[in-house]
Amino acid sequence: MRQQVVYAVGIAAIAIAGIAYTLASGNEPLLGLDLQGGASVVLEPEPLPDGREITDELLDQAVDIIRNRVDGLGVREPEVTRQGQTILVQIPGVDDQQRAIELVGQTAELRFRPVLAQATQQDEIEYNTAAAVLDSDEGDAAVRAQAQAVVDRWALTPEASADEPSVLLQKDSDAFTNRFRLGPVPLVIDQGSVPGQRLTGETLESAAARFTVQGWYVAPTFKAGSPGIDDFNALARECNAGFASCPGLRIAIEIDGRIESAPTVGVAQFERDQIQITGAFTEEEAKDLALALNFGALPLELTPQESRIVSSTLGEDALDAGLVAGLIGVVLVSVYLVAYYRYLGIVAILSLVISGALLWTIVAWLGESQGLALTLAGVTGLIVSIGVSVDSNVVYFEHLKEDVKGGRTLRSAVERAFPVAYSTIVKADVASLIAAVVLYWLTVGQVRGFALFLGLATVLDLIATYFFMGPAIRIMAVRQSTFATKPSRFGIPRAMVTPEGGAS
Amino acid sequence: MLYRGEHAFDFPAMWKKGLAVSGALVAISLVALGVGGLNLGIEFEGGTSWEVEAPGASVADARAALTGTGAESGKIQTVGTDSIRVRADTDQAADVVEISARLAEFAGVDPNDVSVTSVGPSWGDQITGKARNALLWFFAIVAVYIAIRLEWKMAAGALVAVAHDIVISVGVYAVFRFEVTPATVIAFLTIMGYSLYDTIVVYDKVREVGGRLTVTGRYTYTEMMNLALNQVLMRSINTSITSVLPVLSMLVIGSFFLGALTLQEFAIALLIGIVVGTYSSIFVASALVAWMKEREEEHRLVAEKVAADNDSDGGTRRVLDDDVALAGIPAKRSPSATRPVRGQAAQRSDRANRTQQSARPGQPPKPRKKKKR
Repeated sequence: MRQQVVYAVGIAAIAIAGIAYTLASGNEPLLGLDLQGGASVVLEPEPLPDGREITDELLDQAVDIIRNRVDGLGVREPEVTRQGQTILVQIPGVDDQQRAIELVGQTAELRFRPVLAQATQQDEIEYNTAAAVLDSDEGDAAVRAQAQAVVDRWALTPEASADEPSVLLQKDSDAFTNRFRLGPVPLVIDQGSVPGQRLTGETLESAAARFTVQGWYVAPTFKAGSPGIDDFNALARECNAGFASCPGLRIAIEIDGRIESAPTVGVAQFERDQIQITGAFTEEEAKDLALALNFGALPLELTPQESRIVSSTLGEDALDAGLVAGLIGVVLVSVYLVAYYRYLGIVAILSLVISGALLWTIVAWLGESQGLALTLAGVTGLIVSIGVSVDSNVVYFEHLKEDVKGGRTLRSAVERAFPVAYSTIVKADVASLIAAVVLYWLTVGQVRGFALFLGLATVLDLIATYFFMGPAIRIMAVRQSTFATKPSRFGIPRAMVTPEGGAS
Repeated sequence: MLYRGEHAFDFPAMWKKGLAVSGALVAISLVALGVGGLNLGIEFEGGTSWEVEAPGASVADARAALTGTGAESGKIQTVGTDSIRVRADTDQAADVVEISARLAEFAGVDPNDVSVTSVGPSWGDQITGKARNALLWFFAIVAVYIAIRLEWKMAAGALVAVAHDIVISVGVYAVFRFEVTPATVIAFLTIMGYSLYDTIVVYDKVREVGGRLTVTGRYTYTEMMNLALNQVLMRSINTSITSVLPVLSMLVIGSFFLGALTLQEFAIALLIGIVVGTYSSIFVASALVAWMKEREEEHRLVAEKVAADNDSDGGTRRVLDDDVALAGIPAKRSPSATRPVRGQAAQRSDRANRTQQSARPGQPPKPRKKKKR
């Protein structure tokens, strides 16, 4: 008996603690785009031209590139995730959603550009001074205009096209001296195959990170001839000699508007497979650069398979409808339970409240920490799970009534019926769990979200039934003398009950 | 009456009718699927759909506003009270943007207030393929699970019942040409889960009752099944009601909200599924198991013995050939028999279980016909 009290009080305390924690930490369920408005797009890579396998590394690289682009849009909480062989991009409440969807689907190109200049510390001081002038209200118009010009000159180029004569791009860290001014991407020598073709990743064959006693380096291998090593050598010659087209003596390797590396060109002529990009690379840096070059050699072309734009009004409306429907549903079910099962019905409602509180805590926590969004499919799944959760109670109550009808006293029926009923509930719930797990592993998108919430609700149902509903009824049966004297208050018709001690 | 659990139905007597009803429904569903097929949404066929709030706008106006974009020949409909939905085959970004802009202009809203869903042509096949795969795995694993926890005949019965429910639910969509969306697929999966859940609850009761009564060797499997079904009936009704209430609320509430179309579609499918799922547990899944079990040696002998007893009992005859076993009731019964047909099995178990039958008020003592056995 004591154990029963511990269980019932314990699980109630955990549920209350969960709600308190959720409120205190400000966790809130993360709403899916269909409930808050925004854009989402599923991108799928086209098969690679030479039939090579699309590796996880290539996809991860694509995810990184897209993430950079989405971050560039300056939106709140964008999500870029890999789902098997596809990439899901979710952008809540973007202003120009159609544009955003186009942007994330563009193919990332690797380009080689001559370095015109690198920002110096002198430039940084000048820039900071100019920025300070603009920030303050001082200075006459001329001074301000001059400062504005300086700031503008050092603004990063937002969308650098290949033929732009001068672009300013950033290399890895945000340090000001990592800004490079770069020239246009040179045209390849042999314009026969693709007119207008430039020195891009297509001239590359592959790349690898290698290790020597000097440390890690990256070895790119170019294709033979042109487009290939000849074109790279043409640029290398200019940069090695410091021509006007490449006064910076370096070649910048750019992917999608970011500089991966900008090595100084040591010699004027390279063998196509004897190139070393050295630097104080760590193993990870070398591997990242090799991966970037490989990605550039075989850029993934991503095709939007499913794009969805939900206006915020539509999303809010759907959320309201779901909430109101859920609430009314719960009220109706509660009224029915109390009308039919009386006190037992109240226990069923409390049990529902407890599993609901635990569910809310978990969903809010998952949203906050795992970025797992509650979609309309999830909400509907939860509404449906109300009925199934109530069933656990109904199964027990009906067993109880059956035993009472069979001549047991209420107390002994309570003891006997619970294990039998719980065994039934476990059997049925395990089948639901199997459904949830299989669907979660083998499907994508909305169905997956649904499966997760179905599984969660099922597990919580088992917990609430075992730790709360069962013990609560047992406690009532022992403590409440009315259980025996006024069985109708428990939804058990008096006519059905054998008088106490009457059963053999 | 039901509340007190005093009434006992003769379910096996209804199985035959149930079989006819189920057979007809499944046949209609299959024909509808075969003839018209399903009205698949863009998620399965590819294309784009737009939705915009435009109070008071008519379909004809919207069509006129879209002239020249290629969408004017597409499907245009009003949704809820004040919303327009357009569907076209294109998924080209340029077309999509153009049509969004036209619709925004037409409705007098910002282009960002137009909801757009665009799906590539091969995407649906992939999704459907994955779902089919998942379904097959699910069926296999659940069959093994039920075979272990209950028995393989019940696994077979449960799967047939689930298939029955899914076919009928999908059939409703085929007959009424409702649009099948991912939400509908989720609803079908929910139905599958619910149907299975319900069937297992019923089977577990059958197994419990069977475990208690088989050893007595006095009751045919069908009779035990009927007792179990009567015992579990109130549970089934109550659970259906508490499951249907939230769904009904979804259906009704959905019609008051603009963005709740998905919710409504979902609710319709679920409503059908829950009703059919509850029905099939009692009329399809149970009938099948009873039919299979009656052919087992153990139960067949009991059935023969019971039939023989009834013969010698005078007046009543129970001929348990295949046909009757399937229907689950004594086929020929003398109308003059004093034995009440209804609640026969329940009454027997009463006798087996209880010592104080006469203590139950409101039920006159019944003549005990087979004392000699």
